[in-house]
Amino acid sequence: MLAFELFMQGLVQGSIYALIAVGLTLVYGLLRILHVAHAGLFTLGGYIGVLVTNATGSLALALLTAMIAVGFVGMALYRFCYQPILDRPPYVALIASIGLFIAMEEIFRIIFGPYGLSYTAPPLQAPIILLGMNLKAAEILTMVGALILIGGLGVLAGRTRTGIAWRATVKDPQMAESFGIDIVKVRYLNFFIGSALAAAAGVMVALLNNLVEPTMGSVPSYKALAIIVLGGLGNVRGTLIASLALGVIESFGTIYLGFLLDRDAIAFAFLILVLMIRPQGLVGRSNG
Amino acid sequence: MLRLEAMSCGYGPFSAVAELTLQVAEGSVFALIGANGAGKSSTIMAIAGHVDLHGGSITFDGRNLSGVPARQRVRAGMGLVPEGRRLFSDLTVDENLTIGGYCRAAERTPENRARVLDLFPRLKERLDQAAGSLSGGEQQMLAMGRALMTEPRLLMIDEVSLGLMPKMVDVCYDVIRRLKDRGITILVVEQNTSRALEVADHVCVLESGRQVWQGTAAEARADSGLVEAYLGLAEAQ
Repeated sequence: MLAFELFMQGLVQGSIYALIAVGLTLVYGLLRILHVAHAGLFTLGGYIGVLVTNATGSLALALLTAMIAVGFVGMALYRFCYQPILDRPPYVALIASIGLFIAMEEIFRIIFGPYGLSYTAPPLQAPIILLGMNLKAAEILTMVGALILIGGLGVLAGRTRTGIAWRATVKDPQMAESFGIDIVKVRYLNFFIGSALAAAAGVMVALLNNLVEPTMGSVPSYKALAIIVLGGLGNVRGTLIASLALGVIESFGTIYLGFLLDRDAIAFAFLILVLMIRPQGLVGRSNG
Repeated sequence: MLRLEAMSCGYGPFSAVAELTLQVAEGSVFALIGANGAGKSSTIMAIAGHVDLHGGSITFDGRNLSGVPARQRVRAGMGLVPEGRRLFSDLTVDENLTIGGYCRAAERTPENRARVLDLFPRLKERLDQAAGSLSGGEQQMLAMGRALMTEPRLLMIDEVSLGLMPKMVDVCYDVIRRLKDRGITILVVEQNTSRALEVADHVCVLESGRQVWQGTAAEARADSGLVEAYLGLAEAQ
């Protein structure tokens, strides 16, 4: 029973990682940019979630507002920070992104204070017995929400003309343009969706921890970068597998290796170990 | 229909084609021939809007294409089968055809798809297969089918026969003849000169980025010097 409970806890955590990392891998797949500032959008989503919930009492409205607002902020980041430097070497965008992330953390500190914000009446904290396990409603929402959002992304990418055009642009932007696809619009769409997913993750983490603080994106940013490498850079399916695997390993590791390493150290030890064995990632093909 | 007037193009500061002048009449097949590196593919890619224009002009239906992005050229009726086919290899055959029809209204896709599958029945059995898993000949069929989904009035095909078995080359040239019969104008780039001359009405020979000969296909066949220099070379290959 403990194993099943740990597995479920791992899936909850893995769902959060998936929501963050999928956006990151989408941006990498399309523009070959390591978008570190993505974690800042995750934090912004958390703040908007808490503020709107406290103001209106509606978590659903908060989630929707956070996703839409952060989606537009993501598009603005592309327009004003990345688009002007797209023709420069990739490290230029990486440095810009790191600087942007640090600036966002400081802006959050200045605006919202250094100690973080909490829900005045935390929603969905009631325990629910599911398959004999005691889970918070918020945890169930996290899993179900991630499933719906990522499932929706799958439907968009696989079943709609826009989604197919999006995948074609990732594969070969020049050819995609040859068939009438506006690749600039695809980039904006990419940033909107990726940022909205990160915002949803931010709202859910704020819900689970009842806390949003300026630096809450730091550790997820490192982990999300490692996850997209583990999943095979730019590979959405690989990223999902890597996210869930990491969540489950962390969950079990905290119980069985907790005397030796803390949660984050376990996660990074796992990532280093896997990359030593499969440097091409979990689902990538070896070039050797 | 298509007119290049002293057209020069290249990549950044590097020139690939210099002062090329040609005119492709509506409903005809025009062949650009020449050895590897002659500038044939650069010419097609410049017409499609993917290679920088350094000088001169390209007009299509009387409209100067200077500064017109590639996605608008395809809407104007210019379809492209690029060198190496450049299919979206992770996407299925059906999805590649869907992308081909992206520049037209979604309602037209089923009708256009049916027309393409009628032309290439082999693709019908492969609709759910990833494009990257097809044989070379099937990939060429898909590349041509994808371009036809754009409802082109001018179809530009780069290296029809490259890397294909002779039987597949026959299939592709048979399709080119059928498309010509339907009134589609075709600009074909070929190293296999003898095959190009079978279908072409007009021929332009390029060498090191410059035009060295231009005339009708009949004149090309009758020009012994040209046959020796280019046609013979291609047959030896």
